[in-house]
Amino acid sequence: MRQYITRRLLEMIPVLLGISIMIFAIFQLAPGDPISAMVDPKTSAATKAKLREQLHLNEPIIVQYKYWIMDMLKGNWGESFYYKQPVTKVIHSFLWNSFYLSLASFILGALLSIPIGVLSATKQYSKFDYIFTVIALIGISMPSFFFGLLLIKWFAVDLKIFPVSGMTNPGSIASGFALFKEVMYHMALPLIVLTFGSLAGLMRYTRSSMLEVIRQDYIRTARAKGLREKVVIYKHALRNALIPVVTIFGMSLPGLFSGAIITEQIFNWPGIGPIELQAVNTRDYYLLMGINMMLAFLTLLGNLIADVTYAVVDPRIRLK
Amino acid sequence: MKKFLSLFLGILILVSTASSCAKKVSNQVSNDNTSLNKSQLEVIKATNPEKLPQISKDRKDTLIVGTTAPNGTFNPIYSSSLYDSWVVSLIFDGLITNDAQGNPLPNVAEKWDISQDGKTYTFYIKKGIKFHDGKELTAEDVAFTFTAICDPSYDGPRTDAVMYLEGYEEYNKDKKNTVKEVKGIKVIDPYTIQFTLKEAQAPAIWNFGYGIMPKHYYAFEKGNIKKLKDLFLKPMGAGAYTLKNYKPGAEVVFEKNPNYWKGEPKIKTVVMKVTNANTVVQELTSGNVDIDGVGKPEMVEMIKNAGFFNIYSYPSNSYSYIGLNLRDERFSDKRVRQALMYGLDRKGFISAYYKGNAQVCNSPVSPVSWAYTDEINKYEYNIERANKLLDEAGWVKKEDGFRYKDGKKFTIHWMTYTGSKFVESLVAILKDNWRKLGIEVVPELMEFGTLVEKVYDKREFEMYNMAWSVGIDPDSSGIFSKAQNVPGGNNSVGWINEESEKLMNQGLVEFNKEKRKEIYKQWLKLANEELPYLFLAYTKDNVAVSCRVKGVNPSPYIDWTYDIHKVEIVDVK
Repeated sequence: MRQYITRRLLEMIPVLLGISIMIFAIFQLAPGDPISAMVDPKTSAATKAKLREQLHLNEPIIVQYKYWIMDMLKGNWGESFYYKQPVTKVIHSFLWNSFYLSLASFILGALLSIPIGVLSATKQYSKFDYIFTVIALIGISMPSFFFGLLLIKWFAVDLKIFPVSGMTNPGSIASGFALFKEVMYHMALPLIVLTFGSLAGLMRYTRSSMLEVIRQDYIRTARAKGLREKVVIYKHALRNALIPVVTIFGMSLPGLFSGAIITEQIFNWPGIGPIELQAVNTRDYYLLMGINMMLAFLTLLGNLIADVTYAVVDPRIRLK
Repeated sequence: MKKFLSLFLGILILVSTASSCAKKVSNQVSNDNTSLNKSQLEVIKATNPEKLPQISKDRKDTLIVGTTAPNGTFNPIYSSSLYDSWVVSLIFDGLITNDAQGNPLPNVAEKWDISQDGKTYTFYIKKGIKFHDGKELTAEDVAFTFTAICDPSYDGPRTDAVMYLEGYEEYNKDKKNTVKEVKGIKVIDPYTIQFTLKEAQAPAIWNFGYGIMPKHYYAFEKGNIKKLKDLFLKPMGAGAYTLKNYKPGAEVVFEKNPNYWKGEPKIKTVVMKVTNANTVVQELTSGNVDIDGVGKPEMVEMIKNAGFFNIYSYPSNSYSYIGLNLRDERFSDKRVRQALMYGLDRKGFISAYYKGNAQVCNSPVSPVSWAYTDEINKYEYNIERANKLLDEAGWVKKEDGFRYKDGKKFTIHWMTYTGSKFVESLVAILKDNWRKLGIEVVPELMEFGTLVEKVYDKREFEMYNMAWSVGIDPDSSGIFSKAQNVPGGNNSVGWINEESEKLMNQGLVEFNKEKRKEIYKQWLKLANEELPYLFLAYTKDNVAVSCRVKGVNPSPYIDWTYDIHKVEIVDVK
């Protein structure tokens, strides 16, 4: 197993290198550059030319890539053109806010959708099954921006239970548990929006996987030998049904860090989603590279984790 | 649209720092408002102050101002967004500031002299101004601030403020590190500094408004500006507030500087809280935010109904336009441009789209500017006139309803940007209007950054539309001069007109305001006649200010940060 993991980790290096070349080329091939976005009667063509020279934007893509990769190998992710700050610093200031929100939504989503999925499967075609299928489908079809505004109207403006936006109270200096409470209070509405939208996927997965398992012979055998239904479902069926779900968990690792552009924007949650979009619009190459390389790495890592946990939970699978 | 303006068109950093000598201004601010006419400022007073929510009443020592997220470049020589410039203007004070009419006012500099030839500016710094750490602000700090912009490693947006200084090239291009100072920046004594320009330029005074940085705090070795950049989030100036806390994407918190040289600020804490256009009405009406900009007319209506806001509406210093590539022989004919202008129902479009939140634009200067003139052609919608002009220009209408010249159909490919309601509405109206003239318009939508490259860097277009944010000075040579008719330059349409060139140059070197006004009047008439652009609209800014806040009187050249030390929170009964 250790050997397998080491091999997979080593394999990541050439893959990441290939990804970096691809995305670097794609961003650079898009028309315009960070300087062409500076259209301002006070910025002359000479100033733009000077900035381009300073930032090496005049040189061929391959040379620019060389600058970037050499710095990257030394652990220097470059400087964002837009923020005039090291890329790592920019990412760091937004990444964790996104992570907290996504993680909370992920946990809440799992806690809700797995039991619902199991119940839907065991009571297939019952009222319960239909009701939750409909709810989940509404969740996945409802545009998050509309749902978010609706929640703000109901809970923040009319009922005044939750704040309109933000992550903490304005000017707050809270720390420790007080800060945690404040953040949770602000997180409530965006959390509902994100979770509601993601419920359907995991729930339907659990449901179909469960349905498949309870039709297996060994479940019939378990019932035949007189085991109680609860034991049959939760001990024998559920454990096997959850194996494919584990893969989905692994795959969602990059999603925890990529931020939710629309939800974060509506609630002014200081996450990385809107920052990424802005980086695309302003052609902030190094920041884009930083964010995308991080996500690429997390995707590969997520796959690896999924594979490894698969082997752990499913004895039929052997990793070599 | 608003977003595009702020993001890409680089809202000019108007010199909008705090104000001048305290005594002089106290009357001035209130007078300022009344001295503006109705087309320059409209104020809707709060009708129902008692409706102010409890949550705002309880917030006695904190002012909360809504903002778009700043970038965290909290430095006077690096800030590039309007929102960063707000932060900078609370923390830093510059040599000069401006009044509501857009005239320069003394600030850190008590007074200044401009030499007879217009090339030498001498500023006399007020004694006893202290930075936040208690050290005195002197001419050395001013010299340091402007020398930093000249530094070879400087990569910010202010180069154009110093490139006309004597000795800039020598200092900036110096690879061997032998040139120790910029010749044109001279410290005469601790309270006197002199700048010498290579050529006289009347608008140059505005280059000296940027906040002064303390040398002892920001000093760096020539060629190594990184040290200064590392201090973006620990800014120190001589302004009314200090930075207390910055949460990227969420808020900026300021605490008052009790030793502020113009007097102790009245509000202890100021918070710039990030809001967005989708929820700004909710933030304001629920009492979470005291001041914020409100875009759409429907939203203004909602704020008005809330009853506890004073709403200030005034033209933003910008105009939108359609650019035609004048290198294209169809458009180099003035009659065609005029026909297109007459044949477009701009008034109809503006009232349909902006619902009173904008006015028709006919010349490239803001209606707020002292140089603005009304004595120009209004190009009212007139199809007959347009058709006649096109006939004269040799475009003949054939039986299919389209116009032809030399066997070629009049078809315009219009490059424009995606994701904008403004564009969507304009496309519909323009296509229909010009179809009636016999002109086919084919819109090509693309992402904004792509459009910018095609228009400015490659100059491969027939027609496009964008907007300009214009500065406090009416000089437009940064947009329309011959020198800008280069790839990457701002004169992307390629307007070359000797008369215009002459007038713009005269305007640049004339220091007498009345005479300048006369020059710009002529120039605006010329631009209105020649139509380098098809001018569209002047949009309005609407700023809602809670009735509990006293002393914030925004107008075109005055932000909420102006005279912030005098702003106070009052009890509302």
